[in-house]
Amino acid sequence: MNDERDEMIERAARVLRTPPQVRSGTVARVLMAVRARHARPASRWQRALWWVADTSISARGAAVLAAASLAIGFVARGTVATSEPIVVASGPSIELQPVADGDAAERPVPVALVFEQANARDVAVVGDFNGWDRAASPMVRAGTEGPWTATVLAKPGRHTYAFIVDGTTLVADPNAAKATSNDFRGDASVMIVRPD
Amino acid sequence: MRLNRRRGVLRTLAGICAMVPVGVFAGGVVGALGVVSAPASLAAQETRLLLISDDGTRDAVRRFLDAARVRGTPTEPLVSRALEGVAFRATPKEIERALAALEKRLKKSRELLGANSTVDELAAGADALAHGAPESALRDMRRIAPGRRLTVELGVLTELLAKDIAPKTAATMVLRLMARGASGTQLTELNAAVQKDVALGVKPVSALELRGRGVMSLLPPAGSVVTAQKR
Repeated sequence: MNDERDEMIERAARVLRTPPQVRSGTVARVLMAVRARHARPASRWQRALWWVADTSISARGAAVLAAASLAIGFVARGTVATSEPIVVASGPSIELQPVADGDAAERPVPVALVFEQANARDVAVVGDFNGWDRAASPMVRAGTEGPWTATVLAKPGRHTYAFIVDGTTLVADPNAAKATSNDFRGDASVMIVRPD
Repeated sequence: MRLNRRRGVLRTLAGICAMVPVGVFAGGVVGALGVVSAPASLAAQETRLLLISDDGTRDAVRRFLDAARVRGTPTEPLVSRALEGVAFRATPKEIERALAALEKRLKKSRELLGANSTVDELAAGADALAHGAPESALRDMRRIAPGRRLTVELGVLTELLAKDIAPKTAATMVLRLMARGASGTQLTELNAAVQKDVALGVKPVSALELRGRGVMSLLPPAGSVVTAQKR
């Protein structure tokens, strides 16, 4: 009987010895509250911060919270932002062109160009798609007899170009339409690049 | 229990509110990058001008571009034209003359195609005008397809004009095809077919009439096309 009672008392004591579970931050809050009794009363902002700090969130929760907040921020900025064109403050005004959605019509497309001139030592393509830069698109040939080839990136639309042979002579593409430029003397060709 | 849950929700909302300014700031930074890209493109243009080896020509071009910028003209097509002139060994005077003419056409092109047109569209419009495209054609193109990039369509019109097809005939065909919903690819193929026919000795206007009818036969009947097409 006595043994039974001892065992019961022991079990009750075990339960009472185990400290109750407290949420993280609660102890700190209690300590702060005790200190606050002796110090000046906490401001409304301090109380708000303690309140938020008292919440325990998992890492995933924090990530979701941050992502949602950033998204709201971006959306809010877009809503608040003016729809006027952006103008650079100093110097001349530059309007940034609005870009229409989904633009295959603006995306540069690879265009393969072929030029046959067996006795050329060096050939390059110049055109409005590479800023007429003779170093931008050198042509290569397979072996010593094959045609010269190069692939350039050009936006859909009409482009003027020419081949530069041996670094000096501008030659039009014999396989393409001739450019009918009113501005400069010299042979150039035209291609119309279609959208991808 | 319910009170605790409500407090949890309120705390989450408070956390989101605290983070929103961060999001706004990040959005602002991204937006600012767009503004930063304008001076960056100026720097890129300046680098490209270094391709002009002759100091006098380079200075003349730079002066012209600075003035054009102040007048609000997009300078990218002007830089390209100047470099084209250099590639063709044009004199500084010839280059300046070409730039002045192009700037005038770019202005007209913007007037006809609308202020929201891209720089590429304006340049394509200017080229079409240089080849004799009727001003009304550019205006009608934009009216027919307000949400569509017109660079290819204008390029095709320019090439048809370069084949000595009468401006009104060429413009009417391109506009009719656009109104029926012809894509940029179909118009490009039309131009290529006309080009081949002309090389075989067919009169350009006849080739255009024939090939134009061919494309037309592939398109949906008139009236069934939404005109504000996008490619």
